Amino acid sequence: MRRTPTATLLLGLIVTLATVLAYSWYISRQITGLRQLQTDLTDRNRRDSLLLLRIQGDLNQIALAMRDMLDPDETYPIQAWSAQFDRIRADLDDALAQQEAVTVARRTPEQARFLASSVAQFWDASARIFELAAGGHADEARSQVRLSLQPRQAALSTAVARFLVQNNESEAQTAEQVQQIYATVQRQVRWFLFATLAAIVGTGVFLIRSSQRLFSELASLSDQRRELAQQLIGARESTLREIARELHDEFGQILTAIGSMLGRAARQAPDGSSLRQDLREIAEVSQDALDNVRGLSQSLHPSILEELGLGSTVDWYMTTVERQLGLVVDYERSADLPPLDENVSIHVYRILQEALSNVARHSGVHDAAVRLFWDDGQLTLTVQDRGRGLAVDGGRRGLGLVTMRERAALVHGALELVSPPGGGTLVRLTIPVQGPVAA
Amino acid sequence: MNRREFLRRSALGAAGATVTLEQLLSAQGGPGFRLVDVTRSAGITFRHNNGAYGGKFLPETLGSGCAFLDYDADGWQDILLINGMDWPGHRRQRSTLALYRNNRNGTFTDVTKAAGLDIEMYGMGVAVGDFDNDGFPDLYITCVGQSRLFRNTGKGTFVDVTAAAGLGKREAFSTSAMWVDIDRDGRLDLFVCNYVRWSPDRDVFCSLDGRQKSYCTPEAYRGETCWLFRNRGNGTFEDITATCGIFDSGSKALGVALLDDDQDGWPDIFVANDTEPNKLYRNLKNGRFREVGLAAGIALSADGKARAGMGVDVADIDNSGRPVIAVTNFEGEMVGLYRAEQAGRFRDVALASGVGQPSKNRLGFGCVFADLDLDGDVDLIVANGHIDDTVRNIPGNVGYAQPPHLFLNDRGAFRDVAAQAGGGFEQPRVGRGLAVADIDNDGDLDILLTTNNGPAVLFRNDRQSANQSVRFKLTGTVSNRDAIGATVRITHGGITQSRMVRGGSSYLSQSELPVTFGVGHRDVVERAVVSWPNGRVEEFRNLATGKRYDVVEGKGLVNR
Repeated sequence: MRRTPTATLLLGLIVTLATVLAYSWYISRQITGLRQLQTDLTDRNRRDSLLLLRIQGDLNQIALAMRDMLDPDETYPIQAWSAQFDRIRADLDDALAQQEAVTVARRTPEQARFLASSVAQFWDASARIFELAAGGHADEARSQVRLSLQPRQAALSTAVARFLVQNNESEAQTAEQVQQIYATVQRQVRWFLFATLAAIVGTGVFLIRSSQRLFSELASLSDQRRELAQQLIGARESTLREIARELHDEFGQILTAIGSMLGRAARQAPDGSSLRQDLREIAEVSQDALDNVRGLSQSLHPSILEELGLGSTVDWYMTTVERQLGLVVDYERSADLPPLDENVSIHVYRILQEALSNVARHSGVHDAAVRLFWDDGQLTLTVQDRGRGLAVDGGRRGLGLVTMRERAALVHGALELVSPPGGGTLVRLTIPVQGPVAA
Repeated sequence: MNRREFLRRSALGAAGATVTLEQLLSAQGGPGFRLVDVTRSAGITFRHNNGAYGGKFLPETLGSGCAFLDYDADGWQDILLINGMDWPGHRRQRSTLALYRNNRNGTFTDVTKAAGLDIEMYGMGVAVGDFDNDGFPDLYITCVGQSRLFRNTGKGTFVDVTAAAGLGKREAFSTSAMWVDIDRDGRLDLFVCNYVRWSPDRDVFCSLDGRQKSYCTPEAYRGETCWLFRNRGNGTFEDITATCGIFDSGSKALGVALLDDDQDGWPDIFVANDTEPNKLYRNLKNGRFREVGLAAGIALSADGKARAGMGVDVADIDNSGRPVIAVTNFEGEMVGLYRAEQAGRFRDVALASGVGQPSKNRLGFGCVFADLDLDGDVDLIVANGHIDDTVRNIPGNVGYAQPPHLFLNDRGAFRDVAAQAGGGFEQPRVGRGLAVADIDNDGDLDILLTTNNGPAVLFRNDRQSANQSVRFKLTGTVSNRDAIGATVRITHGGITQSRMVRGGSSYLSQSELPVTFGVGHRDVVERAVVSWPNGRVEEFRNLATGKRYDVVEGKGLVNR
């Protein structure tokens, strides 16, 4: 049993689809990982940095406020800054709470505790200073601002600055990590593309080679079929020729001899006797059988084809068509047909027979036109009717048509079936023929 | 439409001609009114002196303000113009503030000397308010150095009561100021903006080229807290700055406006800061304030930047009853237009409203909301001008003198019609102060604009449409006499407009206290409701338009 490439192709398709799915899953995982990395680290880091900047801004405002509190030209008492500190504290507390929520896990608990306790200590100290000031101890309050509040603010500011630096470093590390992931994915994409390309090329080569093999086998099969058909046609013609010869030569001569003997026997019988009458009738029957045998022989294989050539054979055949097929034929031919090889002539003759037989059987009309012309190195036979045309039988082509094509191929000719504008069918056979050498 | 058709239709009968003319003007894209420069014909000869001699002192850049006030209580708005002076050691001329009395015929008389205001000071801004409730408006003049409180004697003169009122011995770089009754006790308290800690001896050397001195930006100086003085009711004031919650030593305030942003009937205060976040002080109804600017969305620009806030005004521009705040800013920062999306929450809609893009390349100072075409939609006027005269040397810069804006409001969409307003309004000027009032009592609002180291310009508004107005002058009896903080709401045709009686606003300036509503073609206002500062509400029905109504608290309309 012959192996088809379908199974291999299906396997290839399944492998390719599986590879694409696997790679899509891989890429999707990498992207999810990147997104997570960005969300977890980069974005949080940036939000953390923004909040740290806001905290730093608040601490700077506190520093400026403390500078103003200590200004000797300042007319307002220290407790006047209480509301300003409250406003800054509200914003600072909000920023610290948000910052704690988004801060990256890299920060140590000690650092977080330090920030929280430093801020709490700062506000405790500031509250004490405002209390001192409210209690009339402005100078001591100023001194406490200088000795306690300003250093605490500076420490806090330094801590926040350090966190910002940490965040920058963390962001740089994350960026490097992201770059590595990108590089890996890029490498994987290149490999995948390469593998996909290789698979496509392999599949393509396999398909081309399979197709080539299939076409080669098909061509071989076609040649074998043609050879067989031609051998069959040849065998048939040969058989018909033999049968025709046998009929003509053997049975014809026997019947001719029987006829002669019956004639002689009848002449020897007394005139007017019933024997003479019977012998004459038998002689007539014998003659009829002889005529039928000769006619059958001619129809199986016209011997005149070999004796008189294609033109005369066709001329003779045309005289029998009305009787045999019931067709009235308008027939014309070139007077100077070149002598043709018998093998060529018999195929032309058979094609003509088949074409007219088709007209009689399928066209639905009772007349046809036959033309046989030789012109410019080409013999052309056309059989045309005005009947139902090719489409009527649904385009089905019987064995006769196949045989016609094969016969045409045997003589290196071309057979066309066309639907002429006026309707009906036109069968055209063209054969390249070497013409008679001019004198 | 061709010229002949225009003239033919303009010449129609009196009954229909006005409407046709208005339609024609509208069809031609005109603003519906025409401004006429009447400075010269009105007799306004004032010229500002910033004292610039080359020392490049910061106050020289800021100009000074102006005010409309009815100092003689005759029902006609007079004009006060604030002036600077030469710096010590560089005296070249004498320059004083100027008071012009309205002659009720389109002209004004300079009564500065007679009024006792012929005084030299480096004046910046002015707040007009009847702090002693005697029926005559008093003046607080902010200065570089000691600011001054002038009490109106009611006899056409003013007396400097700064020291007696307890406001002396305060040297600062004060800018805008505003009278407001923060505790609703019927007495006007005083809010004063201070810019930076600057004095000639604290001046910092700034330079663009490293050699020649140039004007410093405010970042070069420390901020200074605004002041709030509570009126004790005995002619003296108590400094409650340190205790009321507005103390902010980092503030660099230039503009202040009164509003009720949370609609609780208690006055809140907006402060425009230069290069620092704007502040919104919400009244806690106990003499204290809480600053909520950041949470309210007015502290910074939409992209989170503290802009150079200069002037400010507040109005109900979309007839929603909610305040919209306009803040002028530096060149490249555009005007901020903060609309209340909900009570106490604002969003900057400058770009969407059409105000942002035209104002982007101007340096704005004074700004006033006023319904100039009396169509019921409040318009916006902005005075522009750069701070540094050397800017004209920078290629591509819009220049030292800049055209003002006149944004006409058409149902929330603003378009600048300064070029079509007439009277040379669109001329580039170094604009600073800006105020509006109906100087000729014809029902529409006229404009006064001051320029830095230049003349003041008075524009009369000549209506070219049949639009009508209705005006209200409120007099408090239990509330402060000027009724500052009162809100008037009128309803006509399903629309309710509201105006608040405000001191302060704009930049270093103050507009008239009576409120003006444009009502279009309507002859009658179906309903008018006055909410007095102390909480009392009075309602009036079916008021004819085209009139000014005097409303006295508890007595209703006294001139119906």
